[in-house]
Amino acid sequence: MKNTTYIEAITSALYEEMERDESVFMIGEDIGLYGGVFKATKGLQKRFGEERVIDSPISEAYIVGGCVGAAMVGMRPVPEIQFADFITPSMDQIIQQAAKIRYRSGGQWTCPMTVRVCCGGEVGGGLYHSQINEQWFFSQPGLIVVMPSTPYDAKGLLKSAIRGEDPVIYFEHKRLYRSVKEEIPEDDFTVPIGKAAIRREGKDITVVAYGLMCHKSMEAANILEKEGVTVELIDMRSLLPWDREMIFESVKKTSRAVLVQENTKTGGVMAEVSASITEEIFDYLDAPVTRVCGLDVPMLPFAPPLEHYFLPNAEKIVRAVRKVLEY
Amino acid sequence: MAANQTVAKPSLKQIGLSEDTLWGLYYYLMKTRLLDERFRKMFRQGRYAGTYFSAVGQEACTVGAVYGLRDEDIIGPSHREIGAAVTKGIPIKEMVAQVFARSTSVDKGKTHPCHYGSRAKGVINPASTVAGQTVVATGCAMAFKIQKKDNIAVAFFGEGATARGGWHEALNYAGIHKLPILFVCQNNLWAESVPARLQGAIEKFSDRAKAYGFPGVTIDGNDVVEVHKTAQEAIKRARAGEGPTFIECMTYRWYGHSEIDPADYRSQEELDTWKKKDPIPRHEKLLTDLGILTPQKREALVEEIDQEIDEAVKFAEESKYAEPEEAYRDVYSENFPVRRDEY
Ligand SMILES: Cc1ncc(C[n+]2csc(CCOP(=O)(O)OP(=O)(O)O)c2C)c(N)n1
Ligand SMILES: [Mg+2]
Repeated sequence: MKNTTYIEAITSALYEEMERDESVFMIGEDIGLYGGVFKATKGLQKRFGEERVIDSPISEAYIVGGCVGAAMVGMRPVPEIQFADFITPSMDQIIQQAAKIRYRSGGQWTCPMTVRVCCGGEVGGGLYHSQINEQWFFSQPGLIVVMPSTPYDAKGLLKSAIRGEDPVIYFEHKRLYRSVKEEIPEDDFTVPIGKAAIRREGKDITVVAYGLMCHKSMEAANILEKEGVTVELIDMRSLLPWDREMIFESVKKTSRAVLVQENTKTGGVMAEVSASITEEIFDYLDAPVTRVCGLDVPMLPFAPPLEHYFLPNAEKIVRAVRKVLEY
Repeated sequence: MAANQTVAKPSLKQIGLSEDTLWGLYYYLMKTRLLDERFRKMFRQGRYAGTYFSAVGQEACTVGAVYGLRDEDIIGPSHREIGAAVTKGIPIKEMVAQVFARSTSVDKGKTHPCHYGSRAKGVINPASTVAGQTVVATGCAMAFKIQKKDNIAVAFFGEGATARGGWHEALNYAGIHKLPILFVCQNNLWAESVPARLQGAIEKFSDRAKAYGFPGVTIDGNDVVEVHKTAQEAIKRARAGEGPTFIECMTYRWYGHSEIDPADYRSQEELDTWKKKDPIPRHEKLLTDLGILTPQKREALVEEIDQEIDEAVKFAEESKYAEPEEAYRDVYSENFPVRRDEY
């Protein structure tokens, strides 16, 4: 076991996969010589050379689109999008190429590519360095979307993504890079895509979250515990596909659900989770499924009080849980 | 020139191509033309759905560039590259099945007509997004370089596509890394109803290559010999690691953007001028002068191709549409079954 931060887990997954399989290569802005703006790719170019850790021009459409082509002819590319905010120029390539090449070719061509996307708020990043935009990809069949919240999952999911046969949008939360740390195995391991994790067992209410919001929800659960409320906290980990079974099982048990999402509320991942719960296990519910989300305004305003106001936090989650319990 | 002076007949040596190659180019020009006209006819007869994007008049651009490529070389086509698909060797049966959207098409009827592709033949099944496959094909070339293979990629696009951002990013990257790729622009003067002058403030789109640091040429896209020789030169450079070439082929589409477009935005005069530059009679004249082609040989060839097309059409028309269940297939690898909803 080794005490490892979230970002170290990512770096070591990249290192080990590149070591293991020479078809794995990386391309992105500032990832080579500089080691990435957050240092996620530190030392990789030195170890694997400029042909496998490529400093790209500022060309998000090419970074992703080029990797789709490379994936089609035998490579396992791991492109990096420096900030989720700047994924927009590559949308065409993600949606029209990566997500559909298997479908539109009747399974002849495939796209085993892992797009690493650095994302998320609570870092003082403001309007253009805090976005996630996971909901755009969540609605695209053909893509896999994951967002780890722990170092163990960061490493295990990244390895699964790189070894898989499908295009994966891998969201890594920059607020978690150095703020979470845990003992993880030094031996090779993977985390299965499509499976959620129960972070805490409870019987009174189910709280579902992903990414940074898992940590906010855990804080809330600790507060609620003192009030005698036990929360069952589920970390989705995989957003597309998401673990309906685990979430439904938990909600069937607790009969109440609060869904927490950092991004804006409308059209988000939790809208789908909520709709699915009411559609499929309505009879088990004792209260309306309730969401705690970022505000329905552009994500997210810069000034500290505005950022704070935008984001869900433990207090907001606690209030929502109390309300649902009182219903 | 004095009236009594005879024009020297061309020789193979002057042309610099073998008899086999000249015949091969002719074969694919004819195959493309006959198949294309057949598709148009069948569209008017209502024998398949959607629409159809004819490339009649433009055959020399694709045939000339693709002839002689290997299966492992990758073509990134867009919507007007029937000639590239035919010349790269996609079976006509597969192409007709694609247009007819049948279960026997490699895509099982998932994309609409003219989106030909084949992994076996190295043709990317295209998305409709203009310039989309230019970016993807550049990525294939990037992979070939990393893999240290001498395969190359050929990206095809219209002059309209050169206005797109992703297109620029791809060429810029290809230039920086000297990727093994040909960028072949079929400049047919129109992008749907928009004239080329409204796509960019330059006379020759090949001038754009300067900005990317590799050679660009503008050639007669209706002269299959010129296209082929230019492409061969570029392919040699690409395989040798000397980087990309931009080849702008000046050409013209005879019919509308698709079969539902009457193309009344352009003048009859313009159309007539270009019809006189039909690439096929032009190549036929050369072959006749060289003694390679006779009327009998032509007739036999047309008959042979027509028969192949007849069989392909029969095959496609007798093929079934895929079962509705097919909609659920090939979304993901088998690791991720798609959730099924019953309504
Ligand atoms: C990104 C995008 N925008 C618009 C369209 C609709 N469209 C299809 S073909 C076309 C014109 C393309 O012109 P050009 O690139 O010159 O190719 P040509 O049709 O002349 O062969 C347009 C606008 C599209 N398919 N993709
Ligand atoms: Mg055009």
